[in-house]
Amino acid sequence: MSRLDPAAEQAIDWMLRLHSGASASTDAAAFAAWHAHDEANRAAWARLSERLDGPYAQVRAIDARLPGQAGEVREVLLRPPQRRRFLLRSLAAAGLLGGSAWLTDRVTPLATLTADLRTGTGERRDIRLADGSQLALNARSAVDVAFDGHTRALYLRRGELVVDVAPGDRPFLVHTRHGSARALGTRFAVREEGSRSLVAMLAHSTELLAANGHRLRLEEGESAVLDGNGIARLSLRPASLGAWTGGLLVADDLPLAEVVERLRPYCRGLLRLAPNAAGLRVQGVFPLDDPARSFTALAETLPLKVADYGLFILIEAA
Amino acid sequence: MSAASTPRRDLVHRLYSQHHGWLLGSLRRRIRNNADAEDLAADTFCTVLAARFEPALIEEPRAYLVTIAKRLAFRLFRRRELEQAYLERLALLPELFAPSEEERAILMEAINRIDRALQGLPVAVKAAFLYHQLDGLGQSEIAGLLGVSTKTVQRHLKAAMRRCYLLELDA
Repeated sequence: MSRLDPAAEQAIDWMLRLHSGASASTDAAAFAAWHAHDEANRAAWARLSERLDGPYAQVRAIDARLPGQAGEVREVLLRPPQRRRFLLRSLAAAGLLGGSAWLTDRVTPLATLTADLRTGTGERRDIRLADGSQLALNARSAVDVAFDGHTRALYLRRGELVVDVAPGDRPFLVHTRHGSARALGTRFAVREEGSRSLVAMLAHSTELLAANGHRLRLEEGESAVLDGNGIARLSLRPASLGAWTGGLLVADDLPLAEVVERLRPYCRGLLRLAPNAAGLRVQGVFPLDDPARSFTALAETLPLKVADYGLFILIEAA
Repeated sequence: MSAASTPRRDLVHRLYSQHHGWLLGSLRRRIRNNADAEDLAADTFCTVLAARFEPALIEEPRAYLVTIAKRLAFRLFRRRELEQAYLERLALLPELFAPSEEERAILMEAINRIDRALQGLPVAVKAAFLYHQLDGLGQSEIAGLLGVSTKTVQRHLKAAMRRCYLLELDA
C-alpha cells in the first residue's frame, strides 16, 4: 500500500511504538517533542487517534465489564463469508442453541427461529399467530416470531405492530432492541424507531422492561417510550399510535417531520423534506393509502411548497 | 437535507422516471424479497441525490445505478450476515456472560462500522489489527498467534492504520 504524507506516517510509527508495550520513558519525551514540533504533526496524531478510537474503544469498554466480548467481536469480523446457515443448523442439532436473553433457555426449534414476517411499501398485513393471537403489521416492518414451549415472543426489527394477545399459559412478549413489553392483558401497539421504541396500551396492561433494567407497568390508555435512558411516559393517545391499522394517520399537533416519517412507508417514490419545513406543526387525520392526497392536504393548510413529480416528492417551506 | 438545486433535482427525477422501474425489476430478479428490492432501489436513488457527482455527467446511467445498487446490496446482506454470526455466538454463551440488549446494540453497530472500515483488507492484516485494537495484544504476541515474524505484524498493523487514517468519518 502506498505511503501517506510524512506527518501521517510518523504518527502511525509513533502509535505503534507507544503501544508496543516496550516503550521507555525516553520514548515519551521524544514523542512530546515530535508532537510539539508543528501543526501538521499534531493534526496527523489527532486524526489517527480519532480513527482508531470510535467502535474499537466501545468494544474494549464493554469487554472490560464482560471479558470475552472483544474476542467474540473479533471472531465475527474474521469469519469468512458463509453462503448457507449450516452453522445454525449444526448448533441446533447439537442442542446448543439457547442461553441469550433474546432466545429462550430451551432449545428453540429452527422453524420458529428463522420465521420472519416482512411488509413492503404501502403493505399492511393481518396475521393470525399459531396461538390464536392477532398481529397487525404496518408497512415496511419486519418481525421475527419465536414461539416455543416456554414463551411466545416476537422481535420487532423495524416498523410497527399492533397485537391482540390470545389467552394462554405462556407469557407473551414483544422485544425491540430497546427493551421488551410483556402482555398482562390483551391489546397493545409497539413501534421501533431506530433510537427508541414506543409502546401504547390499547386494552388492559403490559409490563415494560427497558435495556437498562427500568420497569414500568402500562395501563390502558397510557403510552411510553423506551430508549437508552430507560422508560418515560408519553402523552400520546394510544388510539393515535394504532390508527394505522385502519389506514389512517392521526396527527395531534405533530411536527411535520414526524408526519412525513409515518407516511414514508406508503410512498413508492423518493421523499425529501427540507429542514426549514420539518418543524411545522400538523393537526389532522390523513389517509395512509393515498399519500399524494395527504401531501395536498398538508400544502393547503401549511405554508408549504410540495413539488410532486409522482415518483419524487420534495417538500419545502413556502 | 438541503433542497437540491432545480436543474440537478430535475436530472435526478428524469433518471428516476427512466430507470427506476428497470432497476426495481432487475433487483427483484436477483433478490427474492420484494421489500428488500424496493428499499435498495429507493436507496440507490437517494445515494445519487446525495452524491457530489454531477448526474448530467453520467454516460451510462444503468451501469452507474447498478454499481451503486450492488454496493448497497452487499452492505445490506453483509450487515445481516454479521448480525446472524453474532447472534449465533451469543447463543453459546451462558447467561452470566451475555451482554445486555443495549450493549448488544452497541457491539452490533461497532461490528458493522469496523467491517466497513476494514473491507477489502487481507484477512492476515485484519487479524493482526483486530488482535491489536480489540484484544490489546502486543506485536510479539500477535506474531506468535499468527505464526509470522514481528516485522510482518508491524507491516500489517501499518497497512490497517493507513486505511483507517484515510477513512472519512460519516454520521
